Amino acid sequence: MKIRRIVALAYKEWREILRDRLFFALAFVVPASLMLIFGYGLTLDVEHIPFAVVDHDKSAMSRDYLHRYIDSRYFDYKGDVASEREIEPLLADSRIRLAIVIPPRFQENLMSGRAVEVQTLIDGTFPFRTSSSKGYVVAINAAFNGELLGSYISRRLGVSAETAKAMAQPVGVQLRYLYNQEVKSVWSIAAVLMMFVLMITPPFLTALGVVREKENVSIYNIYASTVTRGEFLIGKLAPYVAISVINFLILWLMATQLFGAPFKGDPLFFLLASVIYVTCTTGIGLLVSLFVRTQVAAMMLTVIVTIVPSVLYSGLLVPIASMDAAGQFEAHLFPAMYYTDIVLGSFLKGVGLEQLWGKVLALLIYAVGLWTASFLMFHKRPKS
Amino acid sequence: MGQAAMVGKDAPVVRVQDFVKRYRKQMAVDGASLSIDRGEIYGLIGPDGAGKSSLMKAIAGVLSFDGGTLHIFGEKIDSEAAAERVKGRLGFMPQGLGLNLYPELSVEENIDFFAELRDVPPAELAQRKHKLLAMTRLDNFRDRPMKQLSGGMKQKLGLVCTLIHEPELIILDEPTTGVDPVSRRDFWMILTQLLRERGVTALVSTAYMDEAARFHRLSLMFDGRVLIEGEPDTILREVPGALVELVAEPQVEALLRLKTRFPQAEAVGPKLRVFVPGATPQLARAQVEAQLEGLMVSEMQAVAPELEDAFIALLQQRQPAGQDDARQTQVWLDGDPPKGDGIAIAARELSRDFDHFRAVDRVSFEVRQGEIFGLLGANGAGKTTAIKMLTGILPPTGGAGTVAGADMRRAGLAIKGRIGYVSQAFSLYQDMTVQENLRLFARIYGVPGSRLAERIGRVVALAGLSGVTAQLVSKLPMGIRQRLALACALVHGPRVLFLDEPTSGVDPIGRRRFWEILVHLARIEQVAILITTHYMSEAEHCDHLALMHAGRIIADDTPAALKAALQQEAGQVLDIGAEPVLPALEALEQAGFSDAALFGERIHLLARDITAAEARIRTLFAERGIQLRDIAPRTPTLEDVFVHRILQQEQQEASA
Repeated sequence: MKIRRIVALAYKEWREILRDRLFFALAFVVPASLMLIFGYGLTLDVEHIPFAVVDHDKSAMSRDYLHRYIDSRYFDYKGDVASEREIEPLLADSRIRLAIVIPPRFQENLMSGRAVEVQTLIDGTFPFRTSSSKGYVVAINAAFNGELLGSYISRRLGVSAETAKAMAQPVGVQLRYLYNQEVKSVWSIAAVLMMFVLMITPPFLTALGVVREKENVSIYNIYASTVTRGEFLIGKLAPYVAISVINFLILWLMATQLFGAPFKGDPLFFLLASVIYVTCTTGIGLLVSLFVRTQVAAMMLTVIVTIVPSVLYSGLLVPIASMDAAGQFEAHLFPAMYYTDIVLGSFLKGVGLEQLWGKVLALLIYAVGLWTASFLMFHKRPKS
Repeated sequence: MGQAAMVGKDAPVVRVQDFVKRYRKQMAVDGASLSIDRGEIYGLIGPDGAGKSSLMKAIAGVLSFDGGTLHIFGEKIDSEAAAERVKGRLGFMPQGLGLNLYPELSVEENIDFFAELRDVPPAELAQRKHKLLAMTRLDNFRDRPMKQLSGGMKQKLGLVCTLIHEPELIILDEPTTGVDPVSRRDFWMILTQLLRERGVTALVSTAYMDEAARFHRLSLMFDGRVLIEGEPDTILREVPGALVELVAEPQVEALLRLKTRFPQAEAVGPKLRVFVPGATPQLARAQVEAQLEGLMVSEMQAVAPELEDAFIALLQQRQPAGQDDARQTQVWLDGDPPKGDGIAIAARELSRDFDHFRAVDRVSFEVRQGEIFGLLGANGAGKTTAIKMLTGILPPTGGAGTVAGADMRRAGLAIKGRIGYVSQAFSLYQDMTVQENLRLFARIYGVPGSRLAERIGRVVALAGLSGVTAQLVSKLPMGIRQRLALACALVHGPRVLFLDEPTSGVDPIGRRRFWEILVHLARIEQVAILITTHYMSEAEHCDHLALMHAGRIIADDTPAALKAALQQEAGQVLDIGAEPVLPALEALEQAGFSDAALFGERIHLLARDITAAEARIRTLFAERGIQLRDIAPRTPTLEDVFVHRILQQEQQEASA
């Protein structure tokens, strides 16, 4: 191991990356852009659902009922239309996603104790939004019914409104959201996106960097020299690990400052765990680069081996616990899942090494495995 | 000169015995044996795919192999660990001009990186760097990023980086391919000088037969085998025969008659060249005369055969060339050539800028119907850009290009349909058969269905493809692929043909067959042909030549006239054998022969008055105690012309 040679290799690589505009962009612009695009695009909260109203009754009670929707932050009131016929084109154009039709004699029927049906039309093209919308409608409707029942009881029994309400709804639900008190999906997503971006960009950059050298034959400078395999791998990859750590710091800042996610854990622990994680993902890129000859092939293979586990088996979209046994098994094979737990634990739960040491150990084993495999597979006197 | 005297006395630096290398099932090298002595420049000559690169990589310890033995400095190289042990004493420059350098780093940063990789101590690095940069005239460009260097400078930088750790053996894979003749001459000069001073051994490969004179010893490689090994002169002696050059009228008829008896007959411009194997010069002349009875024959002379003739003779001994498809008369175009002034292609003040870089600078020339016009120049000289403008692929920045009188900037499909174009990387479909490729190109060019079979039949006969029509292109050797590319470009019957480096990397036999077709097209079918090449030997085939350098045409005439002009301006080429050769060169340079250049063991220089120059050289050498072995005038080659014109141009620019 000669330090001078490692430094020469690393410094050469570093200058190449900084001076090549395309590589520079890949190294520093792409990760932050991914964070921005996904951070704003991937929010799972359903709010501001645009809707329109057909009020055939136009009574005090129908207005009271409708205002529960109009005043809610989950809905965006787009106006009244005269008949059901006018709703159809609005839904078809996606100008509204939901419409409420109050039948004639809504107030009169309710006053005389007859049940009424309020027709609700929901755009079903996005099932996730649709079911959330339906949930909001049912909840608002139930609250309205509860109040009607309460005021009926209060009038019939002559008790106070409070007592009447307690009699109408004897069991209430008291909710306390832990870790993410406002249930803002962006808090979790910003944190988990760090896992995603650091899973995709370091291997991509590393694989391209190594394969580029193969493609333009400068790898023969290494093969033909007395540089050892270990010196080459360390010198070549050190800049990529460094870039990934810089990116990690940038993403961390973005998550807390731009997306407002709280960071409750131990920063030092998080930093160390993250360095292990990027060493691990850089190793994925290195391993990929040993299997392919061209930069195009390197890109394709890296995308396949990184995007799939980081999207599907990391807990980004679906919690690991809700997967079937096969899915859970697969999730445990990829490093993404362990780091997701570390990120969420550090950001939202404020736990540290004591709770998460197992995950860090898993990443460490992974990193050592990848680098060892690459070292054993890399030869200075290949077959072709 | 202790080192030079030691040549051949100790054990060989490299010993290769029955070397075999396979890539999966593909045999790359099949039982090659050779040995290289200390201090010599050893050449590997052969076309693409001959196995040169595989052999060199294995010797450099960067490729494992499948059979045979390999000893370097007496060490048996049979494992990665064994290879590691000798790598400190080796330098390797892989194929591809400057490809192994780092484009974003400057000249100096590149050198420093190689030095650090090789553990060169800083003090020695500074000293060696200074010397090598001065020698290669790169010292003014220390801070320039490598990507902004010209081809010749990249090649020299590559050499400096390979030499910075002072290896004992350097392995250079096609270092001169695509480099302009002046840089090439410089390169050989530097290499020879360094090798002489330090007793370094060099293994150098090349695809140019005419570089053979640069080597002490060489191997001719073909199809994974070493055909013959030895000194250039010895190889020529091993393939006995005589070369007869003559002018005959009508040329086509004369060539056909010669071909029936001598397979190695070819038309080179106005001349015919016939290699008569096994014959003395007198006998060869007599045989050729007998064959041409009744024709107008003039300027017949017997000359010394060149290595390429020997190479082809050797190849034909091994595998007699399949003489398929006789093609004699007009087989391909119907009717008479177009009337008019006969000018098929014209470039007028054609220019093209890319950003701030002028790739083609006010280029003008004309190509007549039935003429082979050669555009000669190094990579990056602007040849391809000029062709692209003339075929209407790229709009010119200034000037105009016309084909058959039509301006190519505005030419419609009708004009483009009259052009055939074979690009550098020909666009054949590898996974289709020869027949399918031809059908596809015929359809693309709008050959009507009723004439399809007839047209394809004609180009197949013309290009000699009848035996392979059902084969997949990917399975065909390079030479046949090239002929197929030509056939595809001809299938719609164009009268103007553009060829962009069609013969790079093709073996000499393949190149000859290709040229036979081109000569036929020009002479008999009256097709106008514009061809680019960086093989100087091919340039002799052209009726008219334009030498391009740095975007400009620096000379434009027939090959004979170009040579005559050089003789008039600068004199004859003197070929000198002297011992010891390096001090001799130094003495000549000091005495004012500034263009003296080293060719292997010999020195070439230009002299206006040969007798006076010879007398001066004799006294000069006598004073210095240098032994003059022989001295004789030589006809200049096109390379001499090219070098002279470039230097002239550079001097003009420097003084302006």
